[in-house]
Amino acid sequence: MSTPVRTSRRSSIRGGETASGWLFTAPMIVLLGLFLVVPVLMALWVSFSDWNGRGSPFAGTVSFVGGANYAALLGGGGLAEQDFGTALRNNAWYVLLVVPIQTMLSLFLAVLVNRQILRGRGLFRTAFYFPSVTSSVAITVLWLFLFSSSGAVNKLLAFIGINGPNWFNDPSGVLHNILGVFGIESGPAALTGNSFLGISFWEWLAGPSVAMSAFILMAVFTTSGTFMLLFIAALQNLSGDVVEAAVMDGASGWQRFWQVTLPQLRPTLFTVLTLGLIGAWQVFDQIYTGTQGGPGKTTLTPAYLSYQTAFTNQAWGQGAAIAFILFVIIVCFTLFQRWLLAEHAVSARRMRLYVQAPTSGGTK
Amino acid sequence: MSTTIRPTPRTPSPSTRLKSLSREPLPTRAIAGRSLLYAVLIVLAIIYVAPFLIQVATSFKTDSDAASNPMSLIPATWSSAAYERLFLNSDFPVWFKNSAIVTVFVTLGRVFFNSLAGYALARLHFRGRNVIFALLIAVMSVPGVVLLIPKFLVINQLGIYDTYVAMIVPLLTDAAGVFIMKNFFESIPASVEEQARIDGAGTFRVFWSIVLPMARPALVTIIILSFQGSWNELSHFIVATQSPELTTLTKGVASLASGQLSQGTQYPLKLAAAAIMTIPVAIMFFIFQKRIMNTTDGAVKE
Amino acid sequence: MQRRNSRWLIGAGLLAVGSLTLTACGSGSGFGDTATNTDGKLTSDSSQGLNILIGSSGDAETASVNAAVAAWSKTSGTDAKVSVASDLNQQLAQGFAAQKPADVFYLSTDALAGYASNGSLLAYGNDLKNRDDFYPSLVNSFTYEGDFYCAPKDFSTLQLLINTDLWSQAGLTDADIPTTWEELATVSKTLTTGSQVGLAIGGEYARLGAFMAEAGGSLMNADSTKATANSSENVAGLQYAQTLLNDGVMSYASDIGAGWGGEAFGKQLSAMTIEGNWITGAMKNDFPDVNYTVAELPAGPGGQGTLQFTNCWGIAADSPNQAAALDLVEQLTSKDAQLTFSEDFGPMPSIMSAADEWKSANPTLVPFLAGADYAKGVPNVKGSADVVSDLNAQLESLNTGDPQAILDSVQKNLEALLK
Repeated sequence: MSTPVRTSRRSSIRGGETASGWLFTAPMIVLLGLFLVVPVLMALWVSFSDWNGRGSPFAGTVSFVGGANYAALLGGGGLAEQDFGTALRNNAWYVLLVVPIQTMLSLFLAVLVNRQILRGRGLFRTAFYFPSVTSSVAITVLWLFLFSSSGAVNKLLAFIGINGPNWFNDPSGVLHNILGVFGIESGPAALTGNSFLGISFWEWLAGPSVAMSAFILMAVFTTSGTFMLLFIAALQNLSGDVVEAAVMDGASGWQRFWQVTLPQLRPTLFTVLTLGLIGAWQVFDQIYTGTQGGPGKTTLTPAYLSYQTAFTNQAWGQGAAIAFILFVIIVCFTLFQRWLLAEHAVSARRMRLYVQAPTSGGTK
Repeated sequence: MSTTIRPTPRTPSPSTRLKSLSREPLPTRAIAGRSLLYAVLIVLAIIYVAPFLIQVATSFKTDSDAASNPMSLIPATWSSAAYERLFLNSDFPVWFKNSAIVTVFVTLGRVFFNSLAGYALARLHFRGRNVIFALLIAVMSVPGVVLLIPKFLVINQLGIYDTYVAMIVPLLTDAAGVFIMKNFFESIPASVEEQARIDGAGTFRVFWSIVLPMARPALVTIIILSFQGSWNELSHFIVATQSPELTTLTKGVASLASGQLSQGTQYPLKLAAAAIMTIPVAIMFFIFQKRIMNTTDGAVKE
Repeated sequence: MQRRNSRWLIGAGLLAVGSLTLTACGSGSGFGDTATNTDGKLTSDSSQGLNILIGSSGDAETASVNAAVAAWSKTSGTDAKVSVASDLNQQLAQGFAAQKPADVFYLSTDALAGYASNGSLLAYGNDLKNRDDFYPSLVNSFTYEGDFYCAPKDFSTLQLLINTDLWSQAGLTDADIPTTWEELATVSKTLTTGSQVGLAIGGEYARLGAFMAEAGGSLMNADSTKATANSSENVAGLQYAQTLLNDGVMSYASDIGAGWGGEAFGKQLSAMTIEGNWITGAMKNDFPDVNYTVAELPAGPGGQGTLQFTNCWGIAADSPNQAAALDLVEQLTSKDAQLTFSEDFGPMPSIMSAADEWKSANPTLVPFLAGADYAKGVPNVKGSADVVSDLNAQLESLNTGDPQAILDSVQKNLEALLK
């Protein structure tokens, strides 16, 4: 056949594709550029300026103040630094508790629901996933009711003899409460005397407050379903050959899970952890709807603080600075977690062990 | 002209292979193990579903009943006072209308724009395609919180603050949706399109008449995710509008929770609002749940 | 390779052009920060209706303001709409930043400095027809850098409310109404039973500050030029409150399941509360069956003391119809309007000419007006609202906290504002 003709046809087709390509992606480029890229650049400028909230941030009256906003947040010694430190502390504990718990719980649910002998699997999957489709506003309203001082949760705890706290109004730190049970009321001088970001180290170790704990439970409740689905999909994609080989080699159920199944879930685990981290560091909707940072500023998060600083206190430069610092924190955490979970090449010594004992059965 | 593409048959999952093992009568230990499994699952399922049952039940209680019997699933006296107050004495219908308007437009917009861009990135070869794709990935990694203040600034500068335009236009496309469509288009064979091209159809015609109908599963995914995303969106509406006529359900229920329309303990009212707010998303969920369960494959491959 | 470079250049160029367009749009619409138009006249675009934003204390207040505004709207022919804010400060700030603010709005003393300093407000005080009728102390609260910005709409003081039924049930009589701190503690103890607490108040400076005033202290001096937060008097005030909390005779409203002191009082979760005038409207509307009386707060070591609160009607500099807004404000601060407000939800009129009529119309509420003689205002220097919120956050755990340490931190923060 006439290959040259084909080529010219194809190149003319391809040439027309350039225009179409740009045209097709144009709406996306314009919208994302205008409402994602430009805002970020604008906020970057505002965080380095002294714009006071009226008129355009690019007007002549607005001047460049260098890192003044950032300095006030990271070392100014005043209320701004203290609030930022408090917000960071609250959110750090939130992340520390939410991400592992929701990952483990969703994996647990996925393993249970994925059992081949199970009937009504769809029903269980639906039940566990349903909270994830509801709006965070609706769930927060529900949670405020369930966890009120005379609410359902406290009634349930009363059945087993525990006097439940006034959840959303209790600013005491959980760790401090636990230590208080053992009689430790205040920290050693080394911890109470020194501070970081305006908060003493003893306060950093206060743990999440009781109010924050209610939010942690809510986060686990609403996100475990989504991640459960991710794990189920991954589990169903695993080939049974490796598991069968392990069974034949005499591995127990536990060993099969930890040494065989889990390592194969590494990509999904990575996805779940990344999404979990990114989500947990941006808690905003629940705080806005529920406690607005209270009680005692123990549910203040950097995202909400950024909003409050800008929209309520009219300190727009500082608000933008908080947002960017948070961005850096999220990126750092994601990179760290990626490094932690990276597949490291198998060492030569180990390779020799495997090569000597050829595997049986596992063919693809 | 369009030929239907048959999906490739899936390899039998481990479950079907091992199922054959379970046909034999089970020893008691296995029965005990299975009962334990069911018990654990049932308890967990109850924990997950109970809050919503309590929510619906409480919305039909009186204020004092809700305060004194928070856990009971049957109201002492059935009262629709909360719903009456919600529909007759508040702006709830306006909130519902606004949420519906925004959701419909955003969903339609996203289906169209995301599939356009996804197709272009997957199938069309043009200079700068890789750059755009790299930028897309970069954009996906920007956390939403950073955009709260700046989106307000941009909306303000563009002069569209406090309008439906500000509520809808910024949401009309999202990076994750483009990503999903691109992945999907890459997974379907190109032979049909090539055929149509050689026969002389223009690019848009190929896209609209041939490729899009094949993309139904992915489109349904986008519809579900867009519906859910825009119906449940809060922070964007906070920064985009201020007038009460443009309040959506999320903003409205949030203001209910913080005590504007109701006292601190008028729980039936607040829970009724939250329940009605959840109904449309729940309906979408139940209709399309099989689709939701199957789309997570794509996410894992990222 | 060259094609790719040119694409980059085009892309960068588009971005630059886009940003420049935005700045052009932006700077075009944002004029400078003068409070009024350059020729001193008020804007009067009569095609524009008025938007009024209020921070309501409850249904009573909302209904009352709606009625007053509707009446004005009918006589003046200008549309006016009242919105209730769920977060007044945030909605005001957002409106100012977007240059689409509400035309008329509640403005508190601590918010004045911030908005006045960035030019968001119209300083119309001297244009008011009834300017000389306002109490001088209130005019002072709303004067910033020599300009009288806005008309005080009313004022309230905190006093002690007593549930008369529970009072007599506990065997107490009028002679037992406390006039000293010891008596208050005793009476609270008598009134604390299994089902109710003697005294319930909001756990914030706006209530606990009354104790500080009774001890003879305040957060700042009279003209807000010096911070006096960690004085021994203030510490004594907080220590007294701490004792009451730890003895179980006083509770924070949130700890007993109420949103504010008035709700705790109305639901009879407490026998007494410390609240301002606005509670009368809430009691009439929401808890009409509760019989109560108002008594002056007891005297502390520093004598009698209480806190005074006042708000004004702010008018936005960006309002397109300032003339109508001024007319509305004059109407809303007139004697009849203020007396109606007072009857509906309690606060005292801000004009001196209404004082006598108010006293005769509200004989039971006279203690509130008596408080005006010895009441202390809240700090109004720029940024003090944040310091007070931080103080409130610490006061939430007052029962286990250290008053001196709390007040030391407040002193530090206030001093930072005055630098």
